[in-house]
Amino acid sequence: MIPKFDYLRPKTTEELVGLMAEYGEDAKLLAGGTDLLVLMRDKLIRPRYVIDLKGIGELRGLSWDEKRGLRIGATATLNELLESEVVKERFSVLWSAVGVLADPTLRNRATLVGNICNASPAADTAPALLVLDAEVEVAGKDGERIIPIRDFFTGVKRTSLKPGEFVRAVRIPNPPEGAKGGYYKWGRTRGEDLAVVGVAALVANSGRRIMRVALSSVFKTPLRVFEVEKIFEGEGPLGEQIERAVSVVREKIAPITDVRGGKEYRLHMAGALTRRALEELLGGS
Amino acid sequence: MSRHKISLRVNGQSYELEVEANRTLLQVLREELEMTGTKHACERGDCGLCTVLIDGVPTKSCLALAVEVDGREVTTVEGISKGEELNAVQRAFIEHGAVQCGFCTPAFIIAATAFLKRNPHPTEEEIKEAIGGILCRCTGYRQIIDAILDASRKV
Ligand SMILES: Cc1cc2nc3c(=O)[nH]c(=O)nc-3n(C[C@H](O)[C@H](O)[C@H](O)COP(=O)(O)OP(=O)(O)OC[C@H]3O[C@@H](n4cnc5c(N)ncnc54)[C@H](O)[C@@H]3O)c2cc1C
Ligand code: FES
Ligand code: FES
Repeated sequence: MIPKFDYLRPKTTEELVGLMAEYGEDAKLLAGGTDLLVLMRDKLIRPRYVIDLKGIGELRGLSWDEKRGLRIGATATLNELLESEVVKERFSVLWSAVGVLADPTLRNRATLVGNICNASPAADTAPALLVLDAEVEVAGKDGERIIPIRDFFTGVKRTSLKPGEFVRAVRIPNPPEGAKGGYYKWGRTRGEDLAVVGVAALVANSGRRIMRVALSSVFKTPLRVFEVEKIFEGEGPLGEQIERAVSVVREKIAPITDVRGGKEYRLHMAGALTRRALEELLGGS
Repeated sequence: MSRHKISLRVNGQSYELEVEANRTLLQVLREELEMTGTKHACERGDCGLCTVLIDGVPTKSCLALAVEVDGREVTTVEGISKGEELNAVQRAFIEHGAVQCGFCTPAFIIAATAFLKRNPHPTEEEIKEAIGGILCRCTGYRQIIDAILDASRKV
């Protein structure tokens, strides 16, 4: 049984802002509900008001253009992303992360914005958004602002959203020319489970070599390891650079032990997956 | 708690209902409409046994509020055959012995029927991916996959 609440379904963002200002901490936003309704059922949270975002037309769907890149509305589902040719062709690191999140049935409801607002360290879309330098478009009673994704996650289940603010969309600039990317998820089972470790990597070689790595499930937030990026700007054999990147990743993360895996195991797998990702992506270029 | 008047179609028939905000679609189907083909199991999105179609799209009904489906078309296992005449997936499940205790069967039938509509000639890998959100606790996956493959060749 889900505990009692009042259900509200605004039709415009103005109406939403008004409801959020009125009910404050007593209200929770509902997108796909795959995190929210589970938490409510387990009585870990008991909002008095649930505000459904799906009635608001302007929060729906995806759009893309050559100049501004991709924009993902707050209620766009993960399967909408997976079915988009643009996402598959141009944002392959994100596409591969979405394809290993939960299962196809759940992805018909679950949203990308819900995934980042839930702010689990294991959020599968977060590492991809981090290496793509995504931006979070936020609105609230005091107007609008943009939060770079690298400043969005502040702790386990914590974000830099202020009371009364909501995410309107996530924007992703077009990746550098010739970029390749992938998300390497290590789980206990092939589907339907959070990552023991996840590694997203993006590489490009247009004039200067670009290499970015971000991880899930090995820190209190999803984490981009900026320190590895310099390694690949210098000269030297690729194999050595990859090994240096692997040891920098292992230094910067701080995994914990939980039901999905031990700290040592996570440390080991984070290194192994980073190596695999870089070898596969750089191998061909 | 808020109460809501909703109208929805289930298996082609229209219903006007009044539901409390916290009622899931699963509860309304089983307890109010007395359609118990859709199973109640984990109630947390893990097992997929509560899968129904909302406007043709497979959805875990334990994680959908009834008020959210106002104005929508729901299909459950009760509406998948034409009366006594089973559909191709159902027939294939019988032929292949893809039913053991039967608890997961409605969900697989619903999901496979919707999947074959979208992808009539799938590979085995695509079938495995498509049913990845549904659990058979009797673990008869081999027969289930064979049945779906066979049904895809016959429709
Ligand atoms: C069986 C199962 C398997 C799962 N597997 C995975 C997995 O493999 N990987 C993974 O990363 N996750 C997984 N999840 C978690 C979940 O499905 C994802 O995090 C999903 O993307 C959440 O999206 P949603 O639309 O359902 O969010 P909701 O539950 O609707 O919302 C999530 C949170 O974000 C808030 N919120 C939603 N939209 C906004 C907004 N626009 N502005 C501000 N706050 C907002 C809500 O209030 C809530 O606190 C799984 C969940 C289940 C039940
Ligand atoms: S009962 Fe809905 S997924 Fe298990
Ligand atoms: S046949 Fe028993 S759960 Fe699948």
